[in-house]
Amino acid sequence: MSISLNGITKHFGKDVVLSEVSDEVPQGSLTALLGPSGSGKSTLLRIIAGLTPLDAGHVELNGRDVTDVAPRHRNIGFCFQDYAPFRHLSVFDNVAYGLKVQRVPKERRKREVEELLGLVRLEAFADRYPRQLSGGQRQRMALARALAIKPEVLLLDEPFAALDAQVRGELRTWVRNLQRELGITTILVTHDQGEAMEVADRIVILNSGRIEQVGAPHQVYDNPSNEFVQGFLGPTTTLDGITYRPHEISLGLSGDRGTPVRVTDVVRLGFEVRVVVEDATGESSWVQLTHDEARQLDPQVGDSAVVRPRSEVLIFR
Amino acid sequence: MKRPPKLLRLGVLVYVSILIGAPLIFLFQQAFRRGWGAFWAALHDQAMDHALILTAKVALIAVPLNVVFGVGLSLWIVRRPSRLTRILDRLVDVPLAISPIIVGLILELAYAQNGWFGPAIAKLGWHVMFSLPGIVMASVFVSLPLVSRQVIPLLRLLGDHQEQTAATLGASPTRILFTVTLRSIAWAVIYGVTLTLARVIGEYGAVLVVSGNIALLTQTLTLNIGANFDNYNAYQGFVGSVVLALVSIAVLLVLSIARQRERRRSEYLA
Repeated sequence: MSISLNGITKHFGKDVVLSEVSDEVPQGSLTALLGPSGSGKSTLLRIIAGLTPLDAGHVELNGRDVTDVAPRHRNIGFCFQDYAPFRHLSVFDNVAYGLKVQRVPKERRKREVEELLGLVRLEAFADRYPRQLSGGQRQRMALARALAIKPEVLLLDEPFAALDAQVRGELRTWVRNLQRELGITTILVTHDQGEAMEVADRIVILNSGRIEQVGAPHQVYDNPSNEFVQGFLGPTTTLDGITYRPHEISLGLSGDRGTPVRVTDVVRLGFEVRVVVEDATGESSWVQLTHDEARQLDPQVGDSAVVRPRSEVLIFR
Repeated sequence: MKRPPKLLRLGVLVYVSILIGAPLIFLFQQAFRRGWGAFWAALHDQAMDHALILTAKVALIAVPLNVVFGVGLSLWIVRRPSRLTRILDRLVDVPLAISPIIVGLILELAYAQNGWFGPAIAKLGWHVMFSLPGIVMASVFVSLPLVSRQVIPLLRLLGDHQEQTAATLGASPTRILFTVTLRSIAWAVIYGVTLTLARVIGEYGAVLVVSGNIALLTQTLTLNIGANFDNYNAYQGFVGSVVLALVSIAVLLVLSIARQRERRRSEYLA
């Protein structure tokens, strides 16, 4: 199931939330809509689901124009950030809801719900109520509920934002594997670039209602199309007026080739060491060293040193 | 938790006893002072029974009206906010702020034979004042905000993600209303119903004005009790009061169960 977005435009009063957003989401891909808050990414997801009306543009699901089709006729699975469990229904009945709407016979319904609960590893929780579940369990229940109607597209709004760090990491991997296993076209909204890089095979970067760049995670990271994308995808620093990632610069001994600097701070984070330096004009930048590099160079505050780009290729940017 | 000082506890106990406990005991003692037989006979007083039935009728009409109106208004105010709903939201509280006597007078001004709409309604052959419709209107008026004030905050707290999820799962708007929205606010509605019921059964002032207080015709139970005391028939008045008190205690019981359920729900939401 491919999704095609053509010139999606949305205003809230005078504010332009989305401005002529177009994209082709290929069948079976996991696309991350990545952007800062207010970039319009959640609104775009809601427009694809039909939950928010659009002002201009078209949404096509597998070639079918669904722009004027109600959400209940779009056959999509949608998961909210808060999972929106039906609080008055048991886990079993939550998952069964969509099947009941479709008038699936009771026997088959029971079998399918049990299968789904197995898929999300909640078999033992069928009779529990949402309030008796942890955050991660609620999220898996919401996923099972969305998958029950065999949707053509799965839409996830900030699916991991409400979870604590450890559960978040586990669930990311689990969701990615599940998506690959089922091969269901999925769009996930996130403001966390690490999450997008880890989970998605395609990233759409949104800023102020416009698409800044679309590409595979390594493409957008290594070849950002502009400074916004570069800054949003990871830390940056400037050296001689050029923007670099801190790991793209290396530190050398005083007298070597490079810009002479003075070390003003050394932050040891265990696996990496950040060295803050200042050049003769007082401009500050920072360098990311590996643990081993830092041990060899042993930079100290007040030391004289040089900095230079690690790869000559970068200079052409 | 630290217990409050002994003196304070004693003070609260005395205060509550003087206010509620002692009068209640006195009431029951007065109603049963002539024994069970006399009490039983008094229960079968014709005027009181008629009044009791009338009160039940009023409650049976006013409570469902208030539920439909209250839930509908709450959904409108929370889910489709506009300038109009903001005004309505405030207007609905008016009955709480003004005295029931004034409510009665307003209704009389509008619907009496020489009132604003009175002549038009009389032409249609309907009677509002001094009959059941007037009593129902007065009762609905005074209890107007009691359902919506319970439902609105809960609807705000719940948001509409459950409904939207149901929509993506293929449910029609009607199905969503019955299987999601009404189910999630059920206990708040029940809480509002008990409050409305208590208010409708206990209302005196507004009903006094609009009903005309005619025994065996337009006299509700509270009016009947009042009339008995006025007519030096205190014993009958005490018996009526006991009936009313028992209904109130039953309502309170339902209220406390509803409250408990609500608290459990909100604990999960927190």
